[in-house]
Amino acid sequence: MQRIEIMPKVYVNKLHAEKFNRNRVSVNFILPSDKTTATVVALLPMLLSRGYAKCPTMKDLSIKLAKLYGASLSADMGIQGENRVLSFSFIGIKDKFALNGENLTEEYMEILFGSIFNPTLIDGGFDPEILEIEKEKLKEILLSEINDKRGYCLKQARRKFFEGNLAGVEKYGYIEEIDDITPQQVYTVYQDVLKRSLVEVMVLGADQTVITDRLVKEFNAIDRCPAQPNIAKPMPTIKTQEFTQPVDAVQGKLAMVFTTNEKLASEDLSKMRMAIALLGGLSSSRLFLNVREKQNLCYYCASAYIDVTGVLTIDSGVEHENAEKTKNAILTEIESLITGEITDDEMADTKRAIQTGLTAVGDSMGGIESWYFGEISRKTSFEPIQVIEQLNHVTKQDIKDMLKKFTLSVVYTLTKAQ
Amino acid sequence: MNNKAIESLKNVISEQKVVLENGLTVCVCEMTEYSSVYASYGTNYGSDQKRFMLDGKMYDLPDGVAHFLEHKMFENEEGVDAFALYAKTGASANAFTSFDKTHYVFGATDNIDESLDILLSFVSKPYFTDKSVLKEQAIIGQEIKMYDDSPEWRLMFSLLENLYFNCPVRSDIAGTVESISKITKETLYACADAFYRPANMVLSVAGNITLQQVLDACNRADIKTSTKPMQRLTETEPREIRQKFAQFNMEISQPILGIAFKEKPFGLKKEQLKGEIICDILTELIIGDCSDLYCDLYDEGLINPGFSGEYLLGDQYLAIFFSGETKDPETVEKAIRAAICEMREDGIDEEAFICIKNILYGEMLSGLERTETVAMEMSAAHMQGVERFDEAEILAKLTVEDLQQALKDMLQEEYSVTVHLLPNTEV
Repeated sequence: MQRIEIMPKVYVNKLHAEKFNRNRVSVNFILPSDKTTATVVALLPMLLSRGYAKCPTMKDLSIKLAKLYGASLSADMGIQGENRVLSFSFIGIKDKFALNGENLTEEYMEILFGSIFNPTLIDGGFDPEILEIEKEKLKEILLSEINDKRGYCLKQARRKFFEGNLAGVEKYGYIEEIDDITPQQVYTVYQDVLKRSLVEVMVLGADQTVITDRLVKEFNAIDRCPAQPNIAKPMPTIKTQEFTQPVDAVQGKLAMVFTTNEKLASEDLSKMRMAIALLGGLSSSRLFLNVREKQNLCYYCASAYIDVTGVLTIDSGVEHENAEKTKNAILTEIESLITGEITDDEMADTKRAIQTGLTAVGDSMGGIESWYFGEISRKTSFEPIQVIEQLNHVTKQDIKDMLKKFTLSVVYTLTKAQ
Repeated sequence: MNNKAIESLKNVISEQKVVLENGLTVCVCEMTEYSSVYASYGTNYGSDQKRFMLDGKMYDLPDGVAHFLEHKMFENEEGVDAFALYAKTGASANAFTSFDKTHYVFGATDNIDESLDILLSFVSKPYFTDKSVLKEQAIIGQEIKMYDDSPEWRLMFSLLENLYFNCPVRSDIAGTVESISKITKETLYACADAFYRPANMVLSVAGNITLQQVLDACNRADIKTSTKPMQRLTETEPREIRQKFAQFNMEISQPILGIAFKEKPFGLKKEQLKGEIICDILTELIIGDCSDLYCDLYDEGLINPGFSGEYLLGDQYLAIFFSGETKDPETVEKAIRAAICEMREDGIDEEAFICIKNILYGEMLSGLERTETVAMEMSAAHMQGVERFDEAEILAKLTVEDLQQALKDMLQEEYSVTVHLLPNTEV
């Protein structure tokens, strides 16, 4: 990866992606989370990806993208601990595949940067009619989370865990605030995002010079005063809290949230990767083999670790009457890894599986971008091959030490409606 | 989309295909710039095959056998689990069953030969016991219940149940808790014998591998073929639909509308592929991102980006669906039906047609970037009885007139059904 700071706090990261048939450029705006603006910020990707000043209607933009051989512009909101990441990505086929000799890259950049920097404005604010449409869509997004019971259970568990913390500011904001949002208010927040964000641009396959020139031009027109993103902070240990919510569902859902209360050193991440994979990240992991295969308690039982907050989640789909049994079986597996034997085979199998994933990072544009963006966010610069090397030094005791760090904070269960 | 497009696609990738003496087809795409390999060992047997004759005996299967068989193919005679062996190679393995296919797959970056040996040995040598069948019933029972809570899944099967009288696609791919309780090891052996014979299967591999490596693995596996006569039996399905309207409730935030059209199947091989492309283009023209209908309904607050058109196509069936969330199912349904009538009466817009051809060309190029997509597409093309680039050639030749001709018979009101999935609060 080649990384250049083209202006204060605006970085362009060129990634090796020559073998692909398409180019991909992502512009990421990273700024500290703020509960008071979360709902408005959540509207920005929706408003900015449906048209811009030179191409104001959603239909015209869709046709433009279709003519460019189905190129895609997407905008999304992500959360990284106590920060928000507003991302715009453009993917389109390389110029050499254009059927009529078109300069596709030029057109791609026009759409991407037009959408980010030149939105359709009316009277110093976003188009009120469009804003009303997208406000309704945002309400639908917030209300529809109950449709996916697995995701809903995890969200509810996280909500309880992060309550009152900046890392718990809702990704899509708060439904009760939506009606009062005005076009001018959205424009003010939008300008604030352009001024205050740390900007990370990931370039895969496209001409970096064209992108850099355009970015410099756009940012020169903005009075920038970038804010320092919040640093990664592990969540503190709390007394275990258990919650049950009745839902009309055939299958019960169980979500458990654990925390380390400790910031991991960057070299410890490989140890944690091994620990989480051995616990519940693979089909050879303890949760899969023992909770699913041996005890037949569930179809899925998986673990995930978020390093920026030091949080481990485990979730499972269970028979309503088996929720407590499954929870205990999961806790037993963690305990058994900490106090019991971990075999040489388990260590070797887990390393191999992680190694496969790391070696294949370079085989997809999404994989490449996500890997290097993760490294930038952690302020590290490991290549996948270096992490493979680190894995070779992880011991059984390291795994036990990693898992010992976790304490159970929240158990959330969706049970049968009465 | 023209001849230049076809040449571009062909220049990007090349496929090698060999049919072995035992009848197994091997497709390989060497992608030397990649680190990984993706392999699929697939059979054109899925949940839509309910009855067959094997060695003079007729089998009438309970729902969910193909999917059950897929789960049980991961255990061998020594009681060893395939996942345990894949763990020794570092491969990430999986399997999936659709209406008309079952695939066993792995992705790997090292120990490829060993992973191929595991794949071929497990799927070629089935081993089932009463105990292991019983155990799997509990796990699959949980999987079925998980899908029972998926609104989209329930809606699709409600639409299929209302379209079809006898066609097996009206039943859930995994079956029901009750139907899988009827599955025995004898049923599974018969299905494996009938549908997992080499002539019925495709081994498709893409990535950092050579054809010779794959052929060597096939030699080592020494896959035997069954000589028992087998015949697939199909169900007779009337042209008309079973029930025009249905509704049911779930815990969801707003209503979900589903409309489905029962179409006459297009035929086989290239005819079927052409039909597939026509369905792709028609659904995109009617409710794709560029359509007036999508943009108008979106801006009126009646649909969201999840609303889409899709199709389900097999040798014996073809159904086209339009579905998604809406607070006003009646208005959206009327609008969709009106847009179809308008397209039939006023003709198809040439510019919109070219736009969609462009989108499909871009999708083909994008599909050639990933080992997984390349392997699966080689397999799908072979099972459909077409060549890898037939799709591009058919697409290049397809005209607006072809679509208009097809539309004369397709998407007719009398062969359509509607389902409303309502929140529990609405009756």
